Amino acid sequence: MSSAEQSADLDEQLQSLLDRCAAADSTALERLYELASPFLFACLTRILRRRALAEEALQDVFVSIWQRAGQFSASRGRPMAWMMSIARYRAIDLLRHERSAPVLVPDLPERADSNDDSKDDSAPWMPATGLLERCLALLTDHQRNCLELAFVGGNSHEDISRLTGNPLGTVKSWIRRGLQSLRQCLES
Amino acid sequence: MTPQEHPDTVDLLAAEYVLGTLRGRARRRFEKWRATSPLVQERCRFWEENLMRLAKGVRPIKPPPHVWQGIRARLNLARGVSQRRTGRALAIAASVLLVAGLSALLYWRSTGPGKLSEVATISNPAGTQMWEVDVYRTSGRLIVHAGNQTTRLTDRDYELWALPTGGKPVSLGLMPVASASTQRTLTAAQLQALANSPQVAVTVEQLGGSPTGQPTSTPIFVVPLRSS
Repeated sequence: MSSAEQSADLDEQLQSLLDRCAAADSTALERLYELASPFLFACLTRILRRRALAEEALQDVFVSIWQRAGQFSASRGRPMAWMMSIARYRAIDLLRHERSAPVLVPDLPERADSNDDSKDDSAPWMPATGLLERCLALLTDHQRNCLELAFVGGNSHEDISRLTGNPLGTVKSWIRRGLQSLRQCLES
Repeated sequence: MTPQEHPDTVDLLAAEYVLGTLRGRARRRFEKWRATSPLVQERCRFWEENLMRLAKGVRPIKPPPHVWQGIRARLNLARGVSQRRTGRALAIAASVLLVAGLSALLYWRSTGPGKLSEVATISNPAGTQMWEVDVYRTSGRLIVHAGNQTTRLTDRDYELWALPTGGKPVSLGLMPVASASTQRTLTAAQLQALANSPQVAVTVEQLGGSPTGQPTSTPIFVVPLRSS
Protein backbone atom coordinates (compact mmCIF):
# COMPACT_ATOMS: atom_id res chain seq x y z
CA MET A 1 0.00 0.00 0.00
CA SER A 2 1.39 3.43 -0.97
CA SER A 3 1.71 6.17 1.66
CA ALA A 4 -1.14 8.08 -0.01
CA GLU A 5 -3.39 5.00 0.17
CA GLN A 6 -2.29 4.36 3.75
CA SER A 7 -3.14 7.95 4.66
CA ALA A 8 -6.56 7.80 2.93
CA ASP A 9 -7.32 4.48 4.65
CA LEU A 10 -6.47 5.97 8.03
CA ASP A 11 -8.63 9.04 7.32
CA GLU A 12 -11.59 6.80 6.51
CA GLN A 13 -11.04 4.82 9.69
CA LEU A 14 -10.80 7.98 11.82
CA GLN A 15 -13.91 9.46 10.18
CA SER A 16 -15.89 6.31 10.92
CA LEU A 17 -14.70 6.34 14.55
CA LEU A 18 -15.68 10.02 14.92
CA ASP A 19 -19.13 9.20 13.50
CA ARG A 20 -19.52 6.46 16.09
CA CYS A 21 -18.32 8.80 18.86
CA ALA A 22 -21.06 11.22 17.78
CA ALA A 23 -23.48 8.33 18.30
CA ALA A 24 -22.15 7.95 21.90
CA ASP A 25 -20.19 4.74 21.16
CA SER A 26 -17.47 4.71 23.81
CA THR A 27 -15.68 1.73 22.21
CA ALA A 28 -15.06 4.00 19.19
CA LEU A 29 -13.49 6.60 21.47
CA GLU A 30 -11.21 3.94 22.93
CA ARG A 31 -10.09 2.85 19.45
CA LEU A 32 -9.64 6.46 18.38
CA TYR A 33 -7.51 7.03 21.48
CA GLU A 34 -5.36 3.97 20.69
CA LEU A 35 -4.78 5.24 17.16
CA ALA A 36 -4.35 8.98 17.64
CA SER A 37 -3.15 9.56 21.19
CA PRO A 38 0.57 8.73 20.63
CA PHE A 39 0.90 11.38 17.92
CA LEU A 40 -1.22 13.97 19.75
CA PHE A 41 0.63 13.29 23.01
CA ALA A 42 3.97 13.81 21.25
CA CYS A 43 2.74 17.14 19.83
CA LEU A 44 1.47 18.24 23.24
CA THR A 45 4.72 17.24 24.95
CA ARG A 46 6.70 19.26 22.41
CA ILE A 47 4.67 22.38 23.08
CA LEU A 48 4.13 22.05 26.84
CA ARG A 49 7.51 20.41 27.66
CA ARG A 50 6.21 18.93 30.90
CA ARG A 51 4.83 15.44 30.74
CA ALA A 52 2.33 15.97 33.57
CA LEU A 53 0.90 19.02 31.81
CA ALA A 54 0.82 17.21 28.46
CA GLU A 55 -1.07 14.31 30.09
CA GLU A 56 -3.64 16.72 31.51
CA ALA A 57 -3.97 18.41 28.13
CA LEU A 58 -4.41 15.04 26.37
CA GLN A 59 -7.34 14.28 28.67
CA ASP A 60 -8.89 17.68 27.83
CA VAL A 61 -8.37 17.00 24.13
CA PHE A 62 -10.15 13.62 24.11
CA VAL A 63 -13.01 14.92 26.26
CA SER A 64 -13.38 17.69 23.70
CA ILE A 65 -13.18 15.27 20.75
CA TRP A 66 -15.92 13.13 22.33
CA GLN A 67 -18.16 16.15 22.91
CA ARG A 68 -17.55 17.71 19.49
CA ALA A 69 -17.33 14.60 17.27
CA GLY A 70 -20.70 15.41 15.69
CA GLN A 71 -19.33 18.76 14.49
CA PHE A 72 -16.57 17.20 12.40
CA SER A 73 -17.25 16.69 8.74
CA ALA A 74 -14.88 15.16 6.20
CA SER A 75 -15.86 17.95 3.79
CA ARG A 76 -14.14 20.32 6.23
CA GLY A 77 -10.79 18.57 6.08
CA ARG A 78 -8.84 15.65 7.43
CA PRO A 79 -9.82 14.14 10.80
CA MET A 80 -6.24 14.24 12.08
CA ALA A 81 -5.81 17.92 11.19
CA TRP A 82 -9.02 18.63 13.12
CA MET A 83 -7.88 16.65 16.18
CA MET A 84 -4.39 18.08 16.03
CA SER A 85 -5.81 21.61 15.97
CA ILE A 86 -7.89 20.87 19.08
CA ALA A 87 -4.71 19.61 20.77
CA ARG A 88 -2.50 22.51 19.68
CA TYR A 89 -5.04 25.21 20.61
CA ARG A 90 -5.51 23.60 24.02
CA ALA A 91 -1.75 23.52 24.53
CA ILE A 92 -1.39 27.19 23.51
CA ASP A 93 -4.18 28.09 25.96
CA LEU A 94 -2.37 26.24 28.73
CA LEU A 95 0.89 27.99 27.83
CA ARG A 96 -0.74 31.29 28.63
CA HIS A 97 -0.86 30.23 32.25
CA GLU A 98 2.15 27.95 32.43
CA ARG A 99 4.93 29.58 30.45
CA SER A 100 5.82 31.83 33.38
CA ALA A 101 7.07 28.75 35.24
CA PRO A 102 10.69 27.89 34.36
CA VAL A 103 11.38 24.73 32.36
CA LEU A 104 14.62 23.33 33.68
CA VAL A 105 14.81 20.14 31.65
CA PRO A 106 12.62 19.97 28.53
CA ASP A 107 11.42 16.41 27.81
CA LEU A 108 12.21 16.64 24.13
CA PRO A 109 14.61 18.45 21.82
CA GLU A 110 13.49 21.89 20.71
CA ARG A 111 13.49 21.35 16.99
CA ALA A 112 11.89 18.66 14.85
CA ASP A 113 14.46 17.29 12.44
CA SER A 114 12.20 17.64 9.44
CA ASN A 115 14.95 17.30 6.87
CA ASP A 116 15.54 13.67 7.72
CA ASP A 117 12.83 11.62 5.99
CA SER A 118 14.09 8.40 7.55
CA LYS A 119 12.78 9.74 10.87
CA ASP A 120 9.29 10.41 9.52
CA ASP A 121 7.43 8.24 12.05
CA SER A 122 4.33 10.36 11.75
CA ALA A 123 4.01 9.76 7.97
CA PRO A 124 0.59 8.01 8.06
CA TRP A 125 -0.91 11.06 9.76
CA MET A 126 0.41 13.54 7.27
CA PRO A 127 -1.27 14.84 4.12
CA ALA A 128 0.25 12.92 1.22
CA THR A 129 0.83 15.83 -1.10
CA GLY A 130 3.89 16.52 -3.14
CA LEU A 131 2.74 20.12 -3.64
CA LEU A 132 3.11 20.92 0.04
CA GLU A 133 6.58 19.41 0.10
CA ARG A 134 7.59 21.47 -2.91
CA CYS A 135 6.18 24.64 -1.37
CA LEU A 136 7.95 24.07 1.94
CA ALA A 137 11.17 23.48 0.03
CA LEU A 138 10.84 26.96 -1.52
CA LEU A 139 11.14 28.64 1.89
CA THR A 140 14.49 29.86 3.15
CA ASP A 141 16.08 27.88 5.99
CA HIS A 142 15.38 30.78 8.36
CA GLN A 143 11.71 30.92 7.39
CA ARG A 144 11.21 27.14 7.66
CA ASN A 145 13.06 26.94 10.97
CA CYS A 146 10.96 29.77 12.46
CA LEU A 147 7.71 28.13 11.29
CA GLU A 148 8.76 24.79 12.81
CA LEU A 149 9.78 26.38 16.10
CA ALA A 150 6.38 28.07 16.29
CA PHE A 151 4.19 25.19 15.06
CA VAL A 152 5.95 22.20 16.58
CA GLY A 153 7.46 23.82 19.67
CA GLY A 154 4.63 26.24 20.46
CA ASN A 155 7.13 29.10 20.65
CA SER A 156 6.09 32.76 20.47
CA HIS A 157 7.87 35.38 18.34
CA GLU A 158 9.83 36.40 21.46
CA ASP A 159 10.82 32.79 22.25
CA ILE A 160 12.08 32.26 18.69
CA SER A 161 14.02 35.50 18.79
CA ARG A 162 15.71 34.35 22.00
CA LEU A 163 16.30 30.78 20.79
CA THR A 164 17.78 31.75 17.44
CA GLY A 165 19.57 34.90 18.60
CA ASN A 166 17.90 37.02 15.92
CA PRO A 167 16.12 40.37 16.48
CA LEU A 168 12.37 40.17 17.15
CA GLY A 169 11.50 42.23 14.06
CA THR A 170 13.56 39.92 11.85
CA VAL A 171 11.84 36.83 13.24
CA LYS A 172 8.39 38.36 12.69
CA SER A 173 9.36 39.25 9.14
CA TRP A 174 10.70 35.74 8.35
CA ILE A 175 7.47 34.19 9.64
CA ARG A 176 5.21 36.60 7.77
CA ARG A 177 7.11 36.20 4.50
CA GLY A 178 7.31 32.44 4.94
CA LEU A 179 3.54 32.20 5.37
CA GLN A 180 2.91 34.48 2.38
CA SER A 181 5.24 32.42 0.19
CA LEU A 182 3.55 29.20 1.28
CA ARG A 183 0.11 30.57 0.50
CA GLN A 184 1.14 31.84 -2.94
CA CYS A 185 2.73 28.51 -3.78
CA LEU A 186 -0.15 26.38 -2.47
CA GLU A 187 -2.83 28.42 -4.21
CA SER A 188 -1.01 28.98 -7.48
CA MET B 1 -13.31 45.65 9.39
CA THR B 2 -15.08 42.74 7.72
CA PRO B 3 -13.20 39.63 6.49
CA GLN B 4 -14.40 40.22 2.93
CA GLU B 5 -12.88 43.72 2.83
CA HIS B 6 -9.39 42.58 3.85
CA PRO B 7 -8.84 39.00 2.68
CA ASP B 8 -5.03 39.20 2.85
CA THR B 9 -5.06 40.47 6.44
CA VAL B 10 -7.57 37.79 7.40
CA ASP B 11 -5.41 35.14 5.79
CA LEU B 12 -2.26 36.27 7.60
CA LEU B 13 -4.07 36.46 10.93
CA ALA B 14 -5.51 32.97 10.35
CA ALA B 15 -2.05 31.64 9.49
CA GLU B 16 -0.47 33.17 12.63
CA TYR B 17 -3.41 31.93 14.73
CA VAL B 18 -2.94 28.35 13.50
CA LEU B 19 0.84 28.65 13.75
CA GLY B 20 0.42 29.77 17.36
CA THR B 21 2.27 33.07 17.09
CA LEU B 22 -0.90 35.13 17.46
CA ARG B 23 -1.06 35.50 21.21
CA GLY B 24 -2.77 37.33 24.06
CA ARG B 25 -5.70 39.66 23.41
CA ALA B 26 -5.21 39.49 19.64
CA ARG B 27 -5.65 35.69 19.78
CA ARG B 28 -8.80 35.97 21.89
CA ARG B 29 -10.25 38.65 19.60
CA PHE B 30 -9.50 36.45 16.58
CA GLU B 31 -11.20 33.45 18.25
CA LYS B 32 -14.39 35.48 18.63
CA TRP B 33 -14.17 36.49 14.98
CA ARG B 34 -13.58 32.89 13.91
CA ALA B 35 -16.66 31.73 15.84
CA THR B 36 -18.93 33.86 13.67
CA SER B 37 -17.25 34.20 10.26
CA PRO B 38 -17.34 31.30 7.74
CA LEU B 39 -14.56 32.98 5.74
CA VAL B 40 -12.27 33.12 8.78
CA GLN B 41 -13.15 29.48 9.56
CA GLU B 42 -12.30 28.49 5.99
CA ARG B 43 -8.91 30.21 6.12
CA CYS B 44 -8.11 28.55 9.48
CA ARG B 45 -8.94 25.14 8.02
CA PHE B 46 -6.68 25.86 5.03
CA TRP B 47 -3.75 26.54 7.35
CA GLU B 48 -4.58 23.71 9.77
CA GLU B 49 -4.44 21.24 6.88
CA ASN B 50 -1.26 22.62 5.36
CA LEU B 51 0.87 23.58 8.35
CA MET B 52 0.26 20.13 9.84
CA ARG B 53 3.04 18.88 7.60
CA LEU B 54 5.56 20.85 9.69
CA ALA B 55 5.05 18.27 12.45
CA LYS B 56 6.26 15.41 10.29
CA GLY B 57 9.36 14.88 12.40
CA VAL B 58 7.37 14.42 15.61
CA ARG B 59 7.78 10.88 16.86
CA PRO B 60 4.67 9.36 18.48
CA ILE B 61 4.89 8.81 22.25
CA LYS B 62 2.55 6.35 23.95
CA PRO B 63 0.84 8.09 26.88
CA PRO B 64 0.78 6.28 30.25
CA PRO B 65 -2.35 4.15 31.02
CA HIS B 66 -3.66 6.50 33.70
CA VAL B 67 -4.41 9.17 31.06
CA TRP B 68 -7.05 6.97 29.40
CA GLN B 69 -8.44 6.01 32.82
CA GLY B 70 -8.78 9.74 33.58
CA ILE B 71 -10.66 10.34 30.32
CA ARG B 72 -13.05 7.46 31.08
CA ALA B 73 -13.67 8.86 34.55
CA ARG B 74 -14.25 12.40 33.29
CA LEU B 75 -16.73 11.21 30.68
CA ASN B 76 -18.37 8.87 33.17
CA LEU B 77 -17.60 5.89 30.93
CA ALA B 78 -16.39 3.89 33.97
CA ARG B 79 -18.97 2.98 36.58
CA GLY B 80 -17.99 3.10 40.28
CA VAL B 81 -19.73 1.57 43.32
CA SER B 82 -21.75 4.66 44.23
CA GLN B 83 -22.80 5.07 40.60
CA ARG B 84 -23.98 1.47 40.53
CA ARG B 85 -26.19 2.15 43.60
CA THR B 86 -27.65 5.24 41.95
CA GLY B 87 -28.03 3.19 38.79
CA ARG B 88 -30.09 0.56 40.64
CA ALA B 89 -32.48 3.21 42.02
CA LEU B 90 -32.80 4.72 38.57
CA ALA B 91 -33.42 1.27 37.08
CA ILE B 92 -36.39 0.70 39.44
CA ALA B 93 -37.85 4.10 38.52
CA ALA B 94 -37.24 3.39 34.85
CA SER B 95 -39.02 0.02 35.11
CA VAL B 96 -42.16 1.72 36.43
CA LEU B 97 -42.05 4.24 33.60
CA LEU B 98 -41.34 1.49 31.09
CA VAL B 99 -44.46 -0.48 32.08
CA ALA B 100 -46.57 2.67 31.75
CA GLY B 101 -44.91 3.53 28.45
CA LEU B 102 -45.31 0.05 27.00
CA SER B 103 -48.99 0.00 27.92
CA ALA B 104 -49.49 3.28 26.09
CA LEU B 105 -47.44 2.02 23.15
CA LEU B 106 -49.40 -1.26 22.87
CA TYR B 107 -52.66 0.67 22.94
CA TRP B 108 -51.41 3.02 20.26
CA ARG B 109 -50.15 0.17 18.10
CA SER B 110 -53.48 -1.63 18.31
CA THR B 111 -55.21 1.45 16.94
CA GLY B 112 -52.32 2.85 14.87
CA PRO B 113 -50.75 1.74 11.61
CA GLY B 114 -51.76 -1.93 11.85
CA LYS B 115 -49.93 -5.00 13.12
CA LEU B 116 -46.23 -4.64 13.80
CA SER B 117 -44.33 -6.99 11.46
CA GLU B 118 -40.63 -6.44 12.13
CA VAL B 119 -38.53 -4.60 14.65
CA ALA B 120 -34.87 -3.55 14.73
CA THR B 121 -33.38 -2.17 17.91
CA ILE B 122 -30.23 -0.15 17.37
CA SER B 123 -28.08 0.27 20.47
CA ASN B 124 -24.51 1.41 20.87
CA PRO B 125 -21.98 -1.03 22.41
CA ALA B 126 -22.50 0.57 25.82
CA GLY B 127 -26.12 -0.66 25.62
CA THR B 128 -27.75 2.74 25.09
CA GLN B 129 -30.66 2.48 22.69
CA MET B 130 -30.18 4.88 19.79
CA TRP B 131 -33.23 4.02 17.65
CA GLU B 132 -36.09 1.56 17.33
CA VAL B 133 -37.22 0.79 13.80
CA ASP B 134 -40.76 -0.59 13.43
CA VAL B 135 -42.07 -2.03 10.15
CA TYR B 136 -45.85 -2.38 9.62
CA ARG B 137 -46.10 -4.54 6.53
CA THR B 138 -49.90 -4.56 6.14
CA SER B 139 -50.16 -0.78 6.09
CA GLY B 140 -46.73 -0.30 4.47
CA ARG B 141 -45.63 2.07 7.23
CA LEU B 142 -42.18 2.57 8.76
CA ILE B 143 -41.84 4.27 12.13
CA VAL B 144 -38.49 5.16 13.67
CA HIS B 145 -38.13 6.34 17.26
CA ALA B 146 -34.86 8.03 18.34
CA GLY B 147 -33.52 7.63 21.86
CA ASN B 148 -32.71 10.67 23.96
CA GLN B 149 -28.96 10.00 23.60
CA THR B 150 -29.13 10.27 19.81
CA THR B 151 -27.67 13.70 19.12
CA ARG B 152 -28.00 15.79 15.99
CA LEU B 153 -24.92 15.99 13.77
CA THR B 154 -23.80 19.48 12.77
CA ASP B 155 -24.00 19.19 9.01
CA ARG B 156 -24.78 15.58 8.27
CA ASP B 157 -27.70 13.18 8.67
CA TYR B 158 -28.10 9.58 9.74
CA GLU B 159 -29.62 7.39 7.01
CA LEU B 160 -31.30 3.99 7.39
CA TRP B 161 -30.76 1.18 4.87
CA ALA B 162 -32.35 -2.19 4.19
CA LEU B 163 -29.67 -4.78 3.36
CA PRO B 164 -31.39 -7.34 1.07
CA THR B 165 -29.60 -10.66 0.65
CA GLY B 166 -27.68 -10.67 -2.63
CA GLY B 167 -28.80 -7.12 -3.51
CA LYS B 168 -27.70 -3.53 -3.08
CA PRO B 169 -28.69 -1.52 0.02
CA VAL B 170 -32.00 0.30 -0.30
CA SER B 171 -32.49 3.60 1.50
CA LEU B 172 -35.32 3.74 4.02
CA GLY B 173 -34.86 7.46 4.64
CA LEU B 174 -33.26 9.74 7.18
CA MET B 175 -33.27 8.98 10.88
CA PRO B 176 -34.77 11.22 13.57
CA VAL B 177 -32.64 12.41 16.50
CA ALA B 178 -33.09 13.51 20.12
CA SER B 179 -36.21 11.52 21.13
CA ALA B 180 -38.10 12.44 17.93
CA SER B 181 -40.02 9.95 15.78
CA THR B 182 -40.65 9.79 12.05
CA GLN B 183 -43.33 7.93 10.12
CA ARG B 184 -43.35 7.29 6.41
CA THR B 185 -45.14 5.11 3.87
CA LEU B 186 -42.79 2.63 2.24
CA THR B 187 -42.66 2.17 -1.52
CA ALA B 188 -43.17 -1.26 -3.07
CA ALA B 189 -39.41 -1.45 -3.74
CA GLN B 190 -38.60 -0.63 -0.12
CA LEU B 191 -41.11 -3.22 1.16
CA GLN B 192 -39.67 -5.84 -1.16
CA ALA B 193 -36.12 -5.02 -0.05
CA LEU B 194 -37.16 -5.25 3.60
CA ALA B 195 -38.80 -8.64 2.97
CA ASN B 196 -35.38 -9.98 1.88
CA SER B 197 -33.32 -8.13 4.50
CA PRO B 198 -32.14 -10.00 7.56
CA GLN B 199 -30.41 -6.77 8.67
CA VAL B 200 -30.68 -2.99 8.49
CA ALA B 201 -27.82 -0.49 8.68
CA VAL B 202 -27.25 3.16 9.60
CA THR B 203 -24.71 5.38 7.85
CA VAL B 204 -23.71 9.01 8.26
CA GLU B 205 -24.44 10.96 5.07
CA GLN B 206 -24.40 14.53 3.89
CA LEU B 207 -27.41 16.68 4.82
CA GLY B 208 -30.51 15.36 3.07
CA GLY B 209 -29.05 11.88 2.63
CA SER B 210 -26.75 10.08 0.23
CA PRO B 211 -26.67 11.84 -3.15
CA THR B 212 -25.92 8.57 -4.96
CA GLY B 213 -28.74 6.42 -3.62
CA GLN B 214 -26.13 4.14 -2.09
CA PRO B 215 -24.25 4.45 1.22
CA THR B 216 -21.21 6.72 0.89
CA SER B 217 -19.63 5.76 4.24
CA THR B 218 -19.04 2.66 6.32
CA PRO B 219 -22.15 1.80 8.38
CA ILE B 220 -21.89 2.81 12.02
CA PHE B 221 -24.53 0.24 12.95
CA VAL B 222 -25.67 -3.03 11.34
CA VAL B 223 -28.40 -4.81 13.31
CA PRO B 224 -30.80 -7.73 12.73
CA LEU B 225 -34.39 -7.12 11.66
CA ARG B 226 -36.53 -9.42 13.80
CA SER B 227 -40.09 -10.63 13.21
CA SER B 228 -42.42 -9.18 15.78
